[in-house]
Amino acid sequence: MSATTRVFFPGCSLPSYNPELVEKTLAFLKERLPGTGSILKCCGKPTKALGQMDLFQERYADVQQEIDRLEADEIIVACQSCYLTMKACSPNQKVTSLWTLMPEIGLPEGMTGIGADSDITFALHDSCPTRDESDIHDGVRWIMRELGYEIEELGHSRGLTRCCGFGGMVLPANPELAREIMERRAQEAKSDYMVTYCAACRMSMAIGGKKALHLLDLVFGGPWTSESTYPEVGANPIHAWGNRYRAKKSIKKILTTV
Amino acid sequence: MTEQTIRTMQELIDGCMGDAAPYCQAACPMHTDVRGYVNLIGEGRFGEAIALIREKLFLPATLGRICAHPCEDSCKRGEVGAPMAIAALKRFVADNYDDPAKWDTAIESEKPESVAIIGSGPAGAQAAFDLRRKGYQVTIIDRLPVVGGMLRVGIPAYRLPRDIIELEYSLLKAIGVQFRMNTHVGTDVTMEELAESYNAVIVAVGAHTGIMPPVPGHDANGVFDAVTLLRDVSMTERFDALGSRVLVVGGGNVAIDAARSVRRLDDRVVHLACLECNAGCMPAHDWEVDEALDEGVSMHQGWGIVSINTDRMNAVESVTLKRCISVFDAAGRFAPVYDDGERKTIAVDSVVFAIGQKVDGRGLDSLPRTARGHIAVDEVTLQIPGTSIFAAGDATGHSVIAVEAMAEGRKAARSVYRMFRNENMREDRDFERAYKTALETEISQNYVRTPRVTSRLRRASERVGDFAEVDLGIEDAQALAEGGRCLSCECRNCVKECLMLERYTDTCPKDLFQKILNGEEIDPVIPYSCNMCSMCTVLCPKNYRMQDVFMEMRKDLVAQTGGKSPMKGHKAIYMHQKLGFSKLFNITRAASPARVAPKKETVR
Ligand SMILES: Cc1cc2nc3c(=O)[nH]c(=O)nc-3n(C[C@H](O)[C@H](O)[C@H](O)COP(=O)(O)OP(=O)(O)OC[C@H]3O[C@@H](n4cnc5c(N)ncnc54)[C@H](O)[C@@H]3O)c2cc1C
Ligand code: SF4
Ligand code: SF4
Repeated sequence: MSATTRVFFPGCSLPSYNPELVEKTLAFLKERLPGTGSILKCCGKPTKALGQMDLFQERYADVQQEIDRLEADEIIVACQSCYLTMKACSPNQKVTSLWTLMPEIGLPEGMTGIGADSDITFALHDSCPTRDESDIHDGVRWIMRELGYEIEELGHSRGLTRCCGFGGMVLPANPELAREIMERRAQEAKSDYMVTYCAACRMSMAIGGKKALHLLDLVFGGPWTSESTYPEVGANPIHAWGNRYRAKKSIKKILTTV
Repeated sequence: MTEQTIRTMQELIDGCMGDAAPYCQAACPMHTDVRGYVNLIGEGRFGEAIALIREKLFLPATLGRICAHPCEDSCKRGEVGAPMAIAALKRFVADNYDDPAKWDTAIESEKPESVAIIGSGPAGAQAAFDLRRKGYQVTIIDRLPVVGGMLRVGIPAYRLPRDIIELEYSLLKAIGVQFRMNTHVGTDVTMEELAESYNAVIVAVGAHTGIMPPVPGHDANGVFDAVTLLRDVSMTERFDALGSRVLVVGGGNVAIDAARSVRRLDDRVVHLACLECNAGCMPAHDWEVDEALDEGVSMHQGWGIVSINTDRMNAVESVTLKRCISVFDAAGRFAPVYDDGERKTIAVDSVVFAIGQKVDGRGLDSLPRTARGHIAVDEVTLQIPGTSIFAAGDATGHSVIAVEAMAEGRKAARSVYRMFRNENMREDRDFERAYKTALETEISQNYVRTPRVTSRLRRASERVGDFAEVDLGIEDAQALAEGGRCLSCECRNCVKECLMLERYTDTCPKDLFQKILNGEEIDPVIPYSCNMCSMCTVLCPKNYRMQDVFMEMRKDLVAQTGGKSPMKGHKAIYMHQKLGFSKLFNITRAASPARVAPKKETVR
């Protein structure tokens, strides 16, 4: 009987973007870190961002209840907003970013050096919520280096990174401004290809006009070259919820097969 | 809004440097928009540059030549290479792109009150300009036949050609200032008469008496003061009482002006002695000393005067000097120390003292004076208490350079204006002089140290033959390059980075937050346009947290709109969040095989 000591918390934007990546990540964690459970739920950050504080408290209590049910003492997150929100709201759990975990547990089998022969360079966009977390920046670069891809460092990176334009729920409130911010950020990159480690950032850079991938696309797929087919701007809502549902089924699948 | 948020906003309003003046502008007593015009010049917009200068200064070609430019001493560019050549740029646009036909001669409606201004130097002229612009009846009275005060009879023509003063001063006539020249207040008309017949008087008589030290022989034939010499030379280009071998005593720019003027009077031998032991310590600018050396003035630096030695006719024969070891004491007070053992004697037949000027008080006996002989006025209003008489410029000791004198003239004019309108004379007067800006910018040492522009000078051998201008100014291409060196000092780090702040603030977050605290209606889209990325805080030298304020505003708006965001677009988020927490899309799985605690009923 292996007790749950940690949970993988994929958040919402990643499952909406690509449920397969959720499945692969979880399978990988299960293999490398036996005792990893999973919770599919939102961390509540969007509610908080709108200023609905009471509702947020209520919703986060839901999240905490699930964590406590699993008696997990560590939460592994793949989203930087989840990272900050959970760090602030779950003081009894250790919150670990997937991007600092990977350098410790290694890349999935067979992925090392996969991008070495790729003919493209990925401009790397750092997420702004974790601008002060240099371990995450280092981890992401470690992953890119191990995979073998060339990266382009942007003028604004790490602690001085720029928001992709999605932060603070500006896109629905002021779409025209948000687009301008997304375009400006995307234009900073000389390369036509960008890699981000947040699905919302990925979408923003795609709106901004780039061929954009999530870091997990590189970790579990590829090799990506100029010949590859890149994902569209973003799934429409119906499709996104379909993806979320598929992610739920994937989790069920991975964590019932002993 | 919470107390804390209001405090955060107030703190930002008080401390934000977004609208703080650049170093150059704060150091300028007239607060000329240096950053503005220097950058226009850098962009080749020369016509706009001179127009901008003229908003604050009506003597740009004059100041472009002789201003002691405190702005350059404060210029941030000085920290990476040399400061901007601000005065040279001003002169460049004034000489080449100023069109007298375009000068603004408009005045406000005519007012009945009249003002007499004694003295046509920069202080009096600026006061006259400002009051006439407001429509008052202004008369300038000067005992000289020419306008300009020390600009005209102190500063030599080879530094400031007289036609430039005439042309620039003509604007005063054009807007209707009256002039009574050749009129000495004290003899031709008395102070009392003026106080009687005008509603206000501004005394701007400068400091026109040269100081003579009590050294043995100071009353010999052949001893003069620089102020008298320069005045006569300015008026006539001669000074016949002077011999052929001259010693000028003093280390300031008046001494240099006197020495160089004498060099231009036939072929005289000119010595200059000063206490300071090298050019760097002399009060005169280095370039002035260099130009004097080029023109053949012999410098005796680090020497003090012992005696002026005379013949039986009491005419100067020679001067004995002693070594000066130090000029100031540890506390910075003037306290020269000499080495009496080291002496030398120079054979000269004339001595010119240039060691300071004081107010020529003849005819001004009724006015109160300070211990040092300046006209005593209220520091804030420049008024002589209990009278309608004001004083400004060098006569009060508040200024020693032209642009300061102008700022004092402006200050006196403002007081007169307020007096006429029965307004509070003391309110809101803290920033009328040069001040230290609140701005603090860091500059990267990576800036390319492009050299500062230097203007072309006439050859020394040629220029000692006449009083024509020495400095020939700079060319278009030089001006463009020099203008490009400006660092455009300002903060606004946040606004320059953030598209949202750029869109929703006028200058900096300060103005937006002030509006909020004033209770003005704020479009809800503003707080909801913040990405909450904290980039502003990262870049703000004061680490202000703008996003916290926007977050608080969101909370307030939500409270006002019954728990919802006021933004239409956010409807989608409610759905997203509802579903994001719904069973359909949620799952909790333990590591398999599982051990899951039962779901508790009441958690919330
Ligand atoms: C030789 C010299 C060189 C200088 N060089 C520079 C320089 O390079 N840069 C710089 O910025 N500053 C320079 N200055 C200082 C600058 O010229 C003065 O600070 C400035 O002119 C003072 O202005 P003001 O209006 O107070 O007085 P002033 O310019 O002295 O004008 C006073 C006027 O009052 C008139 N007056 C006096 N008494 C009476 C009376 N009783 N009746 C009627 N009229 C009277 C005088 O004739 C004079 O026209 C220099 C000064 C001197 C002496
Ligand atoms: S660099 Fe430009 S803006 Fe800054 S102090 Fe100098 S002149 Fe003024
Ligand atoms: S960064 Fe912005 S808020 Fe901070 S001091 Fe500068 S202008 Fe003001």
